[in-house]
Amino acid sequence: MTPAGPVLSLRGVTKSFPLADGGALQVLDVEHLEVPAGDCTVIRGRSGSGKTTLLNLIAGVSAPTGGTIVVHGTEITALPEARRDRFRAERIGYVFQAFNLLPAFSALENVVLAMMFARAIPRREQRTRAGAILTRLGLGARLGHKPGQLSRGEQQRVAIARALANDPPLILADEPCASLDAATAHEVLAVLLAVCREAAKTLLVVSHDEAVLGAGDRLLDMGTINARAGAAG
Amino acid sequence: MTPVTVVWRYLQGRFVTSALTVVSVALGVSLVIASVLLTRGIKEGFIAGATDYNLIVGAKGSPTQLVLNVVFRMDAPTPNIPLSAYEDLRADPRVEAAVPVAMGDAYQGFRYVATSEAYFAPLPWRRHLPALATGRLFRSDAPERPDYEAVLGADAARGTGLKPEDRFYEGEEMAAYPLRVVGVLRPTGTADDRAIFISLASYWEMNEISRKAMIKPLTAILIRPKRLSDLTALHRGWNVGPDLQAALPSAILLNIFNLLGLVEDVLAVVLAVVAVVVGLYLFVTMYNATLERRREIATMRALGARRATVLGIVLLESCVIAGLGGLAGILGGHGVAALGASLLAARGGPVTHALALSALQPVTFGAVVALGALAGLLPAVLAYRTEVAENLAPL
Repeated sequence: MTPAGPVLSLRGVTKSFPLADGGALQVLDVEHLEVPAGDCTVIRGRSGSGKTTLLNLIAGVSAPTGGTIVVHGTEITALPEARRDRFRAERIGYVFQAFNLLPAFSALENVVLAMMFARAIPRREQRTRAGAILTRLGLGARLGHKPGQLSRGEQQRVAIARALANDPPLILADEPCASLDAATAHEVLAVLLAVCREAAKTLLVVSHDEAVLGAGDRLLDMGTINARAGAAG
Repeated sequence: MTPVTVVWRYLQGRFVTSALTVVSVALGVSLVIASVLLTRGIKEGFIAGATDYNLIVGAKGSPTQLVLNVVFRMDAPTPNIPLSAYEDLRADPRVEAAVPVAMGDAYQGFRYVATSEAYFAPLPWRRHLPALATGRLFRSDAPERPDYEAVLGADAARGTGLKPEDRFYEGEEMAAYPLRVVGVLRPTGTADDRAIFISLASYWEMNEISRKAMIKPLTAILIRPKRLSDLTALHRGWNVGPDLQAALPSAILLNIFNLLGLVEDVLAVVLAVVAVVVGLYLFVTMYNATLERRREIATMRALGARRATVLGIVLLESCVIAGLGGLAGILGGHGVAALGASLLAARGGPVTHALALSALQPVTFGAVVALGALAGLLPAVLAYRTEVAENLAPL
């Protein structure tokens, strides 16, 4: 069930890292950010502007120094770690800049792995579902291939399939095209947008790539979002 | 997909390293299993091969040598003793049974044991009674007219390929006086299995022909007293003279077991060191693997894997490597023990039941898996504590 209002809301979120001299380096200070459900929102920003840190906070893989993050009606900053892990597995898909596929596993297994951790899809259906997603992304003939046997564009499509594995309402993509050549980047971006729109997913992309900036429904600037931070992360 | 599948893929992904670690564990476990099985087999071999007689009279010298040679057919024979000693003992009212034994040369590695039919007498107190598998025992022949009949122990028959009615001899001078096989004994699990039994008359005559020796020597006399209370007096009495001694086989066996106990203690220390080395090797393998996989672990965590899940995967991988090594080591250890036992038996060593199944196998397997868990604990904690955000970026 999609909640009324934004699928993602950040209020007063800060992130600091301790320094060796006892001080702290603040890399993020977001007063307010909302992402509406079903939209593709692109956040642009130069390298080191805190884009990845922002996505990691939204995904719950790191905890903010202060503030609240609400995803799909759940305040993830208030969840204990184990529940946050479970929430992330079920409700958030994450596409990494460097794909982060596990090299020992086939394309199909990389997708099934995400289902294994979420435990939201019955085990007997996992391989069928993973095969269907990969086929939808044009990798039907590559199910048994290991990441090392796939092109970079194919690897990123496997990563997209993995993000979609548990049918999460929110997909986060961190520089999804940065590791790809222009033609492949265009192709991968088109696939990502198509599958998200097709399934009414909320897509939040951070990028500094010109090709990506014009692809979304909304374009936000990291400099504006993170205006109060003293330094970049 | 399950965590077991994940572990299996990881093992396949690092096949050479995983295989080498499994082999290392297997070698360590093989050493443990083979050592324990062989030590136990030797101990049981000594127990199984122990004589039913309480006292052995032989030439003055080492009582251990006397018992090892006469009972277990090991070590060099002690010097000869006169036949009169046997006659004296037979006439002693305190003695229930006295069996003369003379240890001769060997035929194809199987020693001649000259004795009387008393050696095979089915007395009620005998636990290790040689029984015939085929044929009959040699006749009680007169010294001046030996029958040259031989009864073979089970291994001796198998080793030489001789069967009843076959004739054999050792040395050209004996060609005209070949021994004739008249019977084969059932396996007893004792040194008798490797013996070629002949009558004393035949033995003395063979000595006379081949060595021109006119004496009628014995190596030892096996004694069973009528009352155990007479044992001490007999023992003391036969040790007084300058030429003869009486040895208590049970006391010698105890000495041997004490020596074996020392060997076992040293072995235990060596095996403990082996376990530590194997554990360290496994630890280093798992630690390096975990360091190499920090990004993968972070990715798994980003996909929703709980800390406990990645901890479990690393622990499981360590246990699987240890378990596979343990299984291979148990099998390999049995192979080594079987080889060692057969080599030892071929040289006349007392070894038996070296391959018997017992608590050793499951306990060893459990201990190896526990060692795997211990070796994988720190790497697993490292995986557990892996910071996700820090390790998601390319290394």
